Amino acid sequence: MREDKTLAQALESRGVSRRAFLKYASYVATLMALPPSASRVIAEELAKARRQSVIWLSFQECTGCTESITRSMSPTLEDLIFDFISLDYHHTLQAVSGAAAEHARTEAMKANKGKYIVVVDGSVPLKDGGVYSTIAGITNLDMLKETAKDAFAVVSVGTCAAFGGIPHANPNPTGAVAISEIITDKPVVNIPGCPPIPEAMTGTLAYLLSFGKLPELDAKGRPLAFFGETIHDRCYRRPFYERGMFANSFDDEGARKGWCLYKVGCKGPIAYNACATLKWNGGASFPIQSGHGCLGCSEPGFWDKGGFYEPLAAATAKLDIGVGAAAVAGVAAGAAAAELMRRKKSAAVDAANSKKKDG
Amino acid sequence: MRSHDAADCCADAVTGLAEAVLSEIADLLDQFAASGAQSSIDLSGLPMTDADREKLAQRLGRGEVQATLDVAGQTDVWETQYAGVWWVRHFGGNGQVISEEIAITHVPAILLTHREDARAAAERLRKACEVLEATTAADQSSAERDSIHA
Amino acid sequence: MDLLDFARGPALQIGLYVFAFGVAFRLASLLLLPRLKDLSAARKGAPGAVVASGREIIRRMWPQSVYAEATRFTTINGYIFHLGLAIIVFLGTPHILFLKGLIGVSWPGLPTNIINGVAVITFLSLIAALVHRLQSPVLKAISTANDYITWLVTMLPVATGLLAISHLGWRYETLLAVHILSIAVFLIWFPFGKLMHAFLIFLSRGTTGAHLAHRGAQL
Ligand code: SF4
Repeated sequence: MREDKTLAQALESRGVSRRAFLKYASYVATLMALPPSASRVIAEELAKARRQSVIWLSFQECTGCTESITRSMSPTLEDLIFDFISLDYHHTLQAVSGAAAEHARTEAMKANKGKYIVVVDGSVPLKDGGVYSTIAGITNLDMLKETAKDAFAVVSVGTCAAFGGIPHANPNPTGAVAISEIITDKPVVNIPGCPPIPEAMTGTLAYLLSFGKLPELDAKGRPLAFFGETIHDRCYRRPFYERGMFANSFDDEGARKGWCLYKVGCKGPIAYNACATLKWNGGASFPIQSGHGCLGCSEPGFWDKGGFYEPLAAATAKLDIGVGAAAVAGVAAGAAAAELMRRKKSAAVDAANSKKKDG
Repeated sequence: MRSHDAADCCADAVTGLAEAVLSEIADLLDQFAASGAQSSIDLSGLPMTDADREKLAQRLGRGEVQATLDVAGQTDVWETQYAGVWWVRHFGGNGQVISEEIAITHVPAILLTHREDARAAAERLRKACEVLEATTAADQSSAERDSIHA
Repeated sequence: MDLLDFARGPALQIGLYVFAFGVAFRLASLLLLPRLKDLSAARKGAPGAVVASGREIIRRMWPQSVYAEATRFTTINGYIFHLGLAIIVFLGTPHILFLKGLIGVSWPGLPTNIINGVAVITFLSLIAALVHRLQSPVLKAISTANDYITWLVTMLPVATGLLAISHLGWRYETLLAVHILSIAVFLIWFPFGKLMHAFLIFLSRGTTGAHLAHRGAQL
């Protein structure tokens, strides 16, 4: 629920000083690649702000996104965000369920009309009237439309919400679509990833909170601060790529020596995300550092890009039979053409001969 | 020749960024000295390797002031051997550096006490005094009682 | 499906089908043509057909001394971009991986920056070839649309590949998609334009050699 106290006032009693705000602000400024001078503004704005009402809707998803954002928390600086927001509805995390939970959602919508943020993880199935995913008897489609109607902004968290993700993968049996295909009259921020980097979620929320507007987005609706560069751009294995030193399989010498994973299917060159810089689990590692190529999970259709272990340079269509058939057809057509020529020629010879005879 | 064996081959590579940052700091310090214009550089935003950072820290050295803050995790602040050039290093919950900057200023903002914090502290101190007065008063009266009984 | 998915999927698929069909068609229609038997007896001391065609192929690798000066530029520049193209296509790692996907075998490649260097040289060499063609009155007079289209579809993959590796212009995935699309165009044009010389040149030179030797030409 929206509170009357400012965040500073509310947190004061818990011993959270303005220094903590300032420190959090420099953290956010760093995350969002803002100039350091912005951190003072962020700190002031955050201190003045009220707790931000957030309604979190989970549709066709695996709860990995929620896992990811809650894992960013050891009671420290990074999760001050949970003091800044009021998570008014999140059916996985909240204690109440059923009618009481739905009541909490509608109450929060009423109390914060036009000001609350809707966070969505999971895609929305459209096929057969959306029956493939319902909550409290309400289809995801209806709940999304109803909840987003009076929202200030919608944040699609995870690749399923952002781009359809795994439910949308071939053959997409439920007709799953991305949130942005349904909500077209409101700003939608996409924070894709399977799951997304927790800092990308919290950083974006903190930005929304302190500036009251969306951060700069790329053409796919992703905050540029986190999705402005590819994994390949910032990959520490890049020098090996340039030198042509590749792992050819997962247990060869190259793999053991930490060479580039391009040949074993790394999608880093086309994957925009911050894994190579922010890394995972408190900066411990990220897939490439742990020896596996990037899956490109923050990109639309990452599930259907021709196989995780197929190199980016390979054609994705199955070709062997088709190319063979085309070649055979070519030979046949060529033979027919040659035959045609032969007949023409012998016809001409015959004609000439008969002319000679006649003459 | 260095081997390519280490998986984190590049953490200890020196890219020359330290020198670039150093000369930028020199420019900013000139401006600060001349006009008092304060500024800062976000080190975490630069693609510096650990070795680069180490090199920069060495070049800048340590000056007269060092402080350790306990604000939602640790923060280390020190003035480098160049007066007015401060290094601010914020640690997150798990001891990881979450943000790091060079501040060219009189004193980094994080060290200053915010008026609002002072106001809240004043309130708390007032309350503490009241409690203290009340308890001393109570002590006194009970002491008086004791002496009467004696 | 985004542009890159389209390029890596249907575009390459169509390109390769057309390429396979076209090349097979052209070769079959040529080789299966009825050939007149040469009834004349070979000249005394004439080498066999195989040796003669081999000799002719080698002999034509370099111009005869009378023509050396006149064709120096074409010869040298021609070698530069042909070798360049071969190095890029067969020794660039992404290209090896692409070929591996088609034929199942692979071999070691060259470092990226060497390939980049070769690509720049090839690019310049191709430009020079066009400039030369336009400046030489004779060449210009005998050039047809086929020549220019062939030049263009050869140039495009080189140019877009260079843009892609240097991340110039668009974002990388778009550049990569455009690069792959240019390959698809190249593959489609290949059998029907002058690119077919890759298959036919040694065939025709060999045939000529065998023919001439049979008649006793001393080369
Ligand atoms: S491992 Fe992947 S992201 Fe890293 S350099 Fe190789 S291809 Fe690029």
